[in-house]
Amino acid sequence: MNRTSSISRIICASASLVACAVAGAQVPTKAPAPGPVKPAAIPPFQEATLPNGLRMLLVESKRQPVLTLAVVVPAGDAFDPAGKEGLATMLADVLTKGAGKRSADQVSSDIEGVGGSIFAGAGVDFLSLRASVLAENAPLAFELMADAVARPTFAAKEVELSRTQALSGLQLEESQPSALASRFFAAQLFGAHPYGKRPTPSTVRSLTVDDLKAFQKERLVPHGALLVVAGDIPFGRARTLAQRYFGSWKGAAPANVTRAQPPVRTKTDILLVHRPGSVQSNITVGNLTYAPDSPSYYALTVADRVLGGGSDGRLFKTLREQKSWTYGAYSSAGRNHDIGTFEATAEVRNAVTDSALTELLRLERSMGVTAVGSEELDAAKGGLVGRLPLQLETAQGVAEQVARYTMLGLPKDFIRTLRPRLAAISAEQVQQAAKAYMRADQSLVVVVGDGAQIYEKLAKIAPTRIVNAQGDAMSPSDLTPKVTTLPVDLTKLAERADSFAVLVQGNPMGFQTTSLKKTAAGYSYRNAMVIGPIMQQTVETTFGNDLAPQATKADGKMQGQNVAVDVTYANGRAKGTGVSPSATGMKTVTIDTTVAPGVLDDNMVSALVPGLRWAPNARFSVNAFDASEGTMKQLTMSVSGTESVTVPAGTFPVYRVDLAGQAQPMTFFVTTAAPYRIVKMLMVGTPVEFVLVK
Amino acid sequence: MRCVTLAMACLLTLGASLPREARGQDSGRIQLDTFSLANGLEVILAPDHSTQVVAVNVWYNVGSRNEQPGRTGFAHLFEHMMFQGSANVPKGGHMSMVEQAGGRMNGSTQDDRTNYWEVLPSNRYNMGLWLEADRMRSLAITQANFENQRETVKEERRLRIDNQPYTGAFLKGVTAPFDAKSCFAYGHELIGSMTDLNAAKTEDVKAFFDLYYTPNNATLTVVGDFDPAEARRLIEQYFSVIPRGKDAPAVACDARFNAGEQRETVTDDKATLPALLRIFLVPEYRNKDHAALELLATILGGGESSRMNRAIAREAKAALATQVGLDVTGPHRGPSTFAALAVANQGVSTDSLDGLISKEIAKVVADGVTDAELTKAKNQRRSSAIFGRQQALNTAESIQSANMFLGSANAVNTDIERYMKVTKEDIKRVAQQYLRRDNSVVILIKPREGPRP
Repeated sequence: MNRTSSISRIICASASLVACAVAGAQVPTKAPAPGPVKPAAIPPFQEATLPNGLRMLLVESKRQPVLTLAVVVPAGDAFDPAGKEGLATMLADVLTKGAGKRSADQVSSDIEGVGGSIFAGAGVDFLSLRASVLAENAPLAFELMADAVARPTFAAKEVELSRTQALSGLQLEESQPSALASRFFAAQLFGAHPYGKRPTPSTVRSLTVDDLKAFQKERLVPHGALLVVAGDIPFGRARTLAQRYFGSWKGAAPANVTRAQPPVRTKTDILLVHRPGSVQSNITVGNLTYAPDSPSYYALTVADRVLGGGSDGRLFKTLREQKSWTYGAYSSAGRNHDIGTFEATAEVRNAVTDSALTELLRLERSMGVTAVGSEELDAAKGGLVGRLPLQLETAQGVAEQVARYTMLGLPKDFIRTLRPRLAAISAEQVQQAAKAYMRADQSLVVVVGDGAQIYEKLAKIAPTRIVNAQGDAMSPSDLTPKVTTLPVDLTKLAERADSFAVLVQGNPMGFQTTSLKKTAAGYSYRNAMVIGPIMQQTVETTFGNDLAPQATKADGKMQGQNVAVDVTYANGRAKGTGVSPSATGMKTVTIDTTVAPGVLDDNMVSALVPGLRWAPNARFSVNAFDASEGTMKQLTMSVSGTESVTVPAGTFPVYRVDLAGQAQPMTFFVTTAAPYRIVKMLMVGTPVEFVLVK
Repeated sequence: MRCVTLAMACLLTLGASLPREARGQDSGRIQLDTFSLANGLEVILAPDHSTQVVAVNVWYNVGSRNEQPGRTGFAHLFEHMMFQGSANVPKGGHMSMVEQAGGRMNGSTQDDRTNYWEVLPSNRYNMGLWLEADRMRSLAITQANFENQRETVKEERRLRIDNQPYTGAFLKGVTAPFDAKSCFAYGHELIGSMTDLNAAKTEDVKAFFDLYYTPNNATLTVVGDFDPAEARRLIEQYFSVIPRGKDAPAVACDARFNAGEQRETVTDDKATLPALLRIFLVPEYRNKDHAALELLATILGGGESSRMNRAIAREAKAALATQVGLDVTGPHRGPSTFAALAVANQGVSTDSLDGLISKEIAKVVADGVTDAELTKAKNQRRSSAIFGRQQALNTAESIQSANMFLGSANAVNTDIERYMKVTKEDIKRVAQQYLRRDNSVVILIKPREGPRP
């Protein structure tokens, strides 16, 4: 330290007095105080309306020679015609997959060739497109965007690809508690208002190219649409390019739609979505809030951050850090065109579902009862005020924010004044906003979980209705699992061996062989599989002529980690060990549990397929034990269509069967004629498929 | 480029050397204000008031290349230690302070450097400076922190390397062209050896900090919306009291080009399919051939439409995936590597995979690349550089990179020219010169057969 002070003395001798005084100053032991909060540095918008009615906003910036174009049209999911839910999303998906003179491949190669990017998607209110390029490629961006919105080609191949992806997405959703929760929450919260509608497999299957064309013609029109240009382009040139490429975009303004009012809640009630075998419960609590121009927005945003804005939020600190009930608990206050929502969520263990819900409601309620302390208030406001500049750092960020706020009908200075307005919010305002819009006692609660384990506890908190994952009402007595016996015709269960190739995006990447053999005491079913570097596994399950499982042994690697199962069934119990991957690494479970008569081992299900009586609309339910996790599952196989598939082994008329109830939903195709043979399997939501080779 | 006195002439020659498609505006000149404190801390300020964001970015001139035999893994361990608290910041406080300011932060380790950064709204950048100074001055190197972070690093290694197929072999592979005797710097793995870490004592960690985490071994770059006079005052106030340290020892690396083809076979417990890795020795980052090698790597293996992906994965269906990369563990001031990796499809041997990779390389050596390929690679390089300049953090990283690897922070303003000047002939020439069999190591990665141990 001596040496340093002597050096600074030497520098001081030759430098100005100011610098000397500073170099000698003490290092503060506390972080320096923040500087004043300035309004957002966003230039005033320049505005034009093209003769066809398209409104253009330019946010010019010469910082870097880059440019982002955003086109936003009031044509989001809420505009889907009844029975055609999923239309706006599919339309957005195919707009950039071929438009004007370009095919899907040409669109992507042209934009990538100049190092740019293009995107389209639909939200609840708006359908949006976005392209980012270097400023010198502005004409290409205007052309691609205008073609996409005004001149899409709707190539049948792209429409079918989009449909396949949408259907897998929906099938996957059924296995994801958080997606199920969001679907039921929206439906209950909004009732007949279109924000409550969601696509289903049948609505997605019903969508046609004509539907897409009609929706595009009716809703994708320049009147009411907004073009935001952000970046390095002068106003005159932006207007010229807009007129050149968007000028011929025509269409009459769509008629106004009247929408049903969402229901009003006077007390808190619970909807339990029964998911048998679920080891966790997904809790969502919330209520409707306000129109987007509400002055309460600022205070509720701060209140939301205090309650559940991240790892500093009260929900996180209490439910996770203090109680260890969950990995995370958060809240969010969202704005929509018609009316916004407040929501708080947590995913917790079955055993603590009621305690967690009670605690969550208590924390929410307390926001309106007690004012927040100044330290907590400052931390929340600091995070909110601070993040806006980071969101506006790029032309793309500016375009996205400007487009969204303008379409929500907010005043032009909204972004500019957001920081000072948030910074000025007081503890009293936070409390008032929370009292008005965090309505713990007039909330909708949706819990997705195993009703058999949680119903009675939930019913003590608030009136509780029960539905299954399809939305059908259930009574509490339906929750006790009734063992359904699978109607297997043993005479059809012959010895057999099948070989499948595993394809990933159409490329061969592995194989699977399955074989069923008679044993002295029943059957043995063996399944050996290798999928690229992802997994390698052999499973052997033995079961009796009465279909009672005897043992399951598995051995393999999954994502490089060793997996193993060794479980024996005897005297109504399953005993053994299972090692399987989980979100936090490999999990070893010791299994010693009751298995009711009639319950299968889940590996048996595909072995028994030839013994079932397949027909259009056939549906089989079965209780199965997952020996790798030690959990009970209710598996459902339902025929959802009849088609013809071609695989290396030949072309077959088949039933399409959706298998639901396990973590990874599957679709398989079984021949329409006996012996019912599986000829193809898809792992939903993944590019993996199995095709019969011989 | 010195274009001040002869602006017109310069512009003309520059214009003439650029391909038509790539001509356009550049990212604009960054004005740099560079100075050093008496304790040796190098400071680069780049004010830009067009946003309300500031990036505070510190590069320590230390990476795995500075590690000694028996003492590997320290560089990466420090990336963790630096978030364990210091005199005035409690453990975990760094992260929550930045989060409560609406900012972002992180750190990373490469072969040649370790970086730490905060991106903050401009009215809070002073806190970023203070946080960096506090840990440079008074990092909490306690027995408990060290042991705790040693376990975290081991866990990270277990999850991200040991349990992932190919990753371990790949990281080891890029050290293969170097002889650990003549170039220990690049001849050992970035992640280090667990044996070394297990044997390390708190005193060793403290000694490493004292030698490398000194002001005279660091460069602080501040980019964005701040007043340079105020920044300078704060930097002097916060950092000047940190004593200068000893000069860190120089790093030597002697590597032999064209030393003959080496072949190695590695058994990868986690792999289920064989893979092949071919690694060529190439020169340092600032070498004149580097830009051509980088564009070549993009053309051969950058993305869906690259040559190897098209020929080997999509057409021959021999590989599940292919990848080509230059400087995969960060740029080097010494010799570096150009690596091609392909994971075989079911039933494809590593020999036939090697044949297919060699065939693609032979095609470039014999026929070069097309105008369209070169233009696209240049466009992508240029647009990513310009898009990157929109963000203070990216700009700060580019300045630091120019400063360390090109020897001058100001080179940040001219580096793109290296890429724009590359011709088809250059690509063909560097392919001929470096992508030679006798200048490479081929590593056959085999899954373990038979029962597991």
